Amino acid sequence: MLTDIVQLVLNGIMAGAILAAPAIGFTAIYAVLRFPNFAVASHATIGAFAGYCANVWLGLPLLPSAVVAFLVAGIVGVTSDSLVLRPLRSAGLITTTIASVALTIALENLVRLGFGNALRNYDLPIMRDWRFGGIRVGPQQLEDLAISAAAVAALFTFLAFTRLGKAMRAVADNPTLAAIKGIDADRIARIVNFIAMGLAGLGGMLLGLDTSIDPLTGFRAILAIFAAAVVGGLGSIPGAVVGALTVGVAEELSQLVLPSDYRTVVGFIAILLVLSFRPRGILGARAY
Amino acid sequence: MIRFTRRGLLATAALAAPSIVGAQGAALRLGVLTPLTGAGSFDGPRMLKAMQAVTNDINGAGGILGRKIELVVEDDETNPEAAVRAAHKLVDVDKVPVIMGTWASAVTTAVAPVCWESKTFLTTVSGADSITHLPHQGYLIRTQPNNQLQATKHAEFIIRHGSKRMFILAIQAPFAEPTRKYLTEMLTPHGVTVAGSLIYDKDKTSYRSEVDQALKAKPDLLYLNGYAPDVAVVLRDLYRAGYDGDRFCQSYALTAKALEELPKEVTQGVYTVQPSADVDSAAYAAAAKRLGIATPDSYEAQATDWISIVALTIAKAGDATGTAIRDSVRKITNSDGVKVYTAVDGLAALKQGKEIKYSGASGPCTFTDIGDISDCKFRYNRVENGAFKYLEVS
Repeated sequence: MLTDIVQLVLNGIMAGAILAAPAIGFTAIYAVLRFPNFAVASHATIGAFAGYCANVWLGLPLLPSAVVAFLVAGIVGVTSDSLVLRPLRSAGLITTTIASVALTIALENLVRLGFGNALRNYDLPIMRDWRFGGIRVGPQQLEDLAISAAAVAALFTFLAFTRLGKAMRAVADNPTLAAIKGIDADRIARIVNFIAMGLAGLGGMLLGLDTSIDPLTGFRAILAIFAAAVVGGLGSIPGAVVGALTVGVAEELSQLVLPSDYRTVVGFIAILLVLSFRPRGILGARAY
Repeated sequence: MIRFTRRGLLATAALAAPSIVGAQGAALRLGVLTPLTGAGSFDGPRMLKAMQAVTNDINGAGGILGRKIELVVEDDETNPEAAVRAAHKLVDVDKVPVIMGTWASAVTTAVAPVCWESKTFLTTVSGADSITHLPHQGYLIRTQPNNQLQATKHAEFIIRHGSKRMFILAIQAPFAEPTRKYLTEMLTPHGVTVAGSLIYDKDKTSYRSEVDQALKAKPDLLYLNGYAPDVAVVLRDLYRAGYDGDRFCQSYALTAKALEELPKEVTQGVYTVQPSADVDSAAYAAAAKRLGIATPDSYEAQATDWISIVALTIAKAGDATGTAIRDSVRKITNSDGVKVYTAVDGLAALKQGKEIKYSGASGPCTFTDIGDISDCKFRYNRVENGAFKYLEVS
């Protein structure tokens, strides 16, 4: 029983670590632009396919492919935001949110138009898991964990120590004050979109590494991503990490008491509990 | 004449919506509702193509009741909600007498009430037993063997194969529970233990914990009752977990395309099963020629049969309503008349006033009172070195 729990917690941490990247993207956009951008789903898919092209078509190894996934999703994020969402932001939260859903459907179908619906797999050797006592760990999982952790660490460094990072936090904390201090909100919005959608793209690729990718890769994960962001505290970047790990571990541990097909319920219950008892999420709404 | 209307197909719509030219009356609109996206998207577009091909043949031979057929195509997205919306559109806006093509059991279960309430005929490939037991008043036929027939044949294969201890990993779908029940009933008296079963969520990104649970039962055979996206993940996770025993799944869960994409060591030795088209029949040969494919699969064959049966029934009834199709369909499928193997031949025979029996590409197409087919053959393959190796049709 104890081994089971350890194994489930471990599986949950691995799954949560992969969720963390897109969850940070989701929450960062919320922190700065103040709307839930569900287009994170299609950008995760786009990142997954960009990484696939780099890995399978160009023959690049894992790390450079992950960089490609980040860059392509980031660039698409900036472009789609300035073309579609930015002109609508003045119309209010609901309009922009609905537009983001429409955007994600449109982008998902563009991917479908180019790549079709078939499942695709990265060109990586599949390895048997390592076993330590009763616990098993996949080499690929550890690699995913390391990449995700490195991306998150890089983001925290950026936010804490660079001028731009501080400017982003300033806009998130108090946009009016930031504007008075001469921070260009549009520029910050573009940078946030680039980083956030880049992280979503990276997350999409990490999701696909362990499984397969298709145009619905991002869409399947969006509930868990949303749950992670809400549980951690919508708008809080460290919160997104905590939220992702919480949701990941909770989904796995739920199998001890719930049948496996009730997994989706866990995300909903997490959102429900947090909104009922601690609406600001575990870490509250401070961006950083 | 095809009209695509769902998202993602808009580009095609511009190219494929010529006006109706040369038909005597207004075109006869028939509904198509297949999965063009989602888990069924490997089969859906091919079923659509098969129906288009037969439609072209019929229109080329002058149509039915003096009218050309126009297929109105909607995407069910392999999603019950989207499917119901699309079905309402077909029924309320396009006023079609028939909807052909639902694939996933959950989708058919959701769409069927829309159909019988509006007196629209429905043809499907969904396998869940519950579907033909719905109160559909005859407005439904399926060309796919039901769960009981499938599970019975699968169990016979598993017994012949010599497995002793089986675990079932199934997706959350209407067929999961009945299949488990029939398999257990069939296998237990023959000394095959069903050591356990587990139903999983379709959208999970990893099934490590589920696989751990299954392997704890120490099975020598895993019965993977899922769809392609999830079975691909389960197979990988089984390999990672070091499982070397047998795996058995439906061919739609491990498609030729998936086989190309998955590492060879992951799929090595997997047994797949599918309802077999009636490969020796004249209808099958005609379908192969029409589609330009050497060996159409069961889904293409079934789609060929729907549109053929529907067209012949409308011609026989002299009336293109859902109720007329319901009342007359068995005059085409269950009759003792002269055997015909294509819609065009059947229409010609009907014109001469003959009674006909349509015998299809997917099988004899004889239906029971509740709309099930009465018999079907199954084809078994084994994956060897990343390719399907034919084992048997039985």
